[in-house]
Amino acid sequence: MSANIDKLHDDHSHTPSGIMRWITTTNHKDIGSMYLWFSLIMFFIGGLMALVIRAELFQPGLQLVVPGFFNQMTTMHALVMIFGAVMPAFVGLANWQLPIMIGAPDMALPRLNNWSFWILPFAFTMMLSTLFFESGGPAAGWTLYPPLSLQGGDSMPFVILSIHLLGLSSILGAINVIATILNMRAPGMTLMKMPIFVWTWLITAFLLIASMPVLAGAITMLLTDRFFGTTFFTASGGGDPVLFQHIFWFFGHPEVYILILPAFGIVSTIIPAFSRKKLFGYDSMVYATASIALLSFIVWAHHMFTVGMPLAGELFFMFTTMLIAVPTGVKVFNWVATMWKGSMTFETPMLFALAFIVLFTVGGFSGLMLAMVPADFQYHDTYFVVAHFHYVLVPGAVFAIIAAVYYWLPKWTGKMYNESLGKLHFWLTTIFVNLTFFPMHFVGLAGMPRRIPDYAVQFADFNAIASVGAFGFGLSQLLFVYILFNTLKQKVTAEDKCWDGAEGLEWTLSSPPPYHSFDKAPKID
Amino acid sequence: MKNFKKTYLSLTLFAVFMFSFSYMLVPLYDIFCEITGLNGKTNQTKVLNINENPAERFVKVKFTSTIANSAPFIFEPVDREMTVQIGKIYNTLYTLTNNSNSIKHATASPSVVPSEDAEYFKKIECFCFSQQEINGLETKELPLQFIIDDDLPLDTKTLILSYTMFNTTDQIGSN
Repeated sequence: MSANIDKLHDDHSHTPSGIMRWITTTNHKDIGSMYLWFSLIMFFIGGLMALVIRAELFQPGLQLVVPGFFNQMTTMHALVMIFGAVMPAFVGLANWQLPIMIGAPDMALPRLNNWSFWILPFAFTMMLSTLFFESGGPAAGWTLYPPLSLQGGDSMPFVILSIHLLGLSSILGAINVIATILNMRAPGMTLMKMPIFVWTWLITAFLLIASMPVLAGAITMLLTDRFFGTTFFTASGGGDPVLFQHIFWFFGHPEVYILILPAFGIVSTIIPAFSRKKLFGYDSMVYATASIALLSFIVWAHHMFTVGMPLAGELFFMFTTMLIAVPTGVKVFNWVATMWKGSMTFETPMLFALAFIVLFTVGGFSGLMLAMVPADFQYHDTYFVVAHFHYVLVPGAVFAIIAAVYYWLPKWTGKMYNESLGKLHFWLTTIFVNLTFFPMHFVGLAGMPRRIPDYAVQFADFNAIASVGAFGFGLSQLLFVYILFNTLKQKVTAEDKCWDGAEGLEWTLSSPPPYHSFDKAPKID
Repeated sequence: MKNFKKTYLSLTLFAVFMFSFSYMLVPLYDIFCEITGLNGKTNQTKVLNINENPAERFVKVKFTSTIANSAPFIFEPVDREMTVQIGKIYNTLYTLTNNSNSIKHATASPSVVPSEDAEYFKKIECFCFSQQEINGLETKELPLQFIIDDDLPLDTKTLILSYTMFNTTDQIGSN
């Protein structure tokens, strides 16, 4: 055995084959691919849970599942999609793209990188295993509000430990990203010359380091409240359940920007490439991203307007929340101005990026409605909120991830995907995503509460439409998987610079790029 | 490489700081509530100025009670409503009855509505947050002495003092 290991160490160019290659790899491309595959699998697991929810809500009354299991599905769907699908997908994109965009050979901390990834499968195995417990999985919502979350079954400590692990993975990943960006840029690439995707990830990484430890603190308090007799949130000991909401959303609001800022970066990369123009207002894009990130730390209480805050507090959080519309508006304006008089073509990544702009803006507007305190008292905890955050997360974050995959897939694999299938995937996805989430605005405004397995009959029609849309959306994503495998089977190799409008260092590399990206740092003028 | 180490170290320290910050939010939140009187938390730290000649101003004070998580108690105010003169000390009682056959521990937590006026509702003697040990089928009187501060805003005509009684027998047992 030891002789074998010695042999491996003698030969540095040799990588272990089979499964050991993936377990021991420190290569940013391998780890990036693993993150992306992992996130795709979690996307389907979380999607299945969403389909359980939508199947139950197809008709009023209780048909398929018991309410307890329904609550576990809503809770798990959120946890899986946020921590399992969207965040790892962005980290995967960062792993693949950051080194080849800034002219570095690899990430700054390759071994830590490997560890950050391999924490995830274990954390999620533990989290998902709670669904098979006798007392079931967590059912108090992903926000884990006490006192309800303190009254849950045996799953609670397991879920908290797995969230701790996920947080650890994210923090390590973020440290790695910042270290890479700050220390490993090609000579001549000043901060204000960095690709915009790199900028958005740098800011996201700071948000991660600032907010994930706060979540870790909040759930540790939950844990000690339940098992070690502390009373942070237990009213009988002088604690306050509302305090948890404050701490949670102090993490939670930066978290939602963690889920969207890299998406802004992706769209800001793709729109110029297919408009054959430079990104309009690069500097203002950077400042807008930074100000969104800073504002995210002072708006948290808009998630909890109805807990009984004083008027001064509600006004403060209302106005700061609305202030976020300004830098966001700058971004939307810049994207539109980039396209203005450009020689636009509409390949699949561009279609997804365009749909992102339109549909993310719809989600942004419903967010503005929710920011208004008097209106929010009516909208709070209704399907309008569900419609809002799904519009910013599905045609927002998820569309951007899909756009990024189509855009860089030829670079990663050296093969071109099938354009007609890609377009078909786009149209199916876009139609069904709207069919799913648009009716939720209406039932929400009419007063349908969220997180319920049954509802009043007047909401039946719109719910049936949303369920049809959800199944259509889910099935369309199988086409995406088919396209991915179909691409890998293609015989024709993609050109090094397969999009003629694309700019950046990654397009100077071969397709697929060499195992170690830039052995010699490229020069930037 | 020196630069690298500095980056890792400062970022790790930042993460550790933010973790401790989440715990710092707990006292910060209490201080914030205390200063502003938000959240209906009654202020007990201010020095009490008992006016020798109280103003001829009267407000209604209502007393309510809640029992948390269907604990086996009967918990009620003796006076449901009092008309009190501002700046004068008043006494009243709550009664707590243990409906079960075994010894129980109970703790009450107070709240004042409207919460902006909580700081003017001063309790000189109160049973809140102290452990009440109560035998099976026993009834206990819980005395309360309070004063409404002179500075109570003029447009406040009614104050509500609400207590929630928690069964803390399990928590005591585990300690």
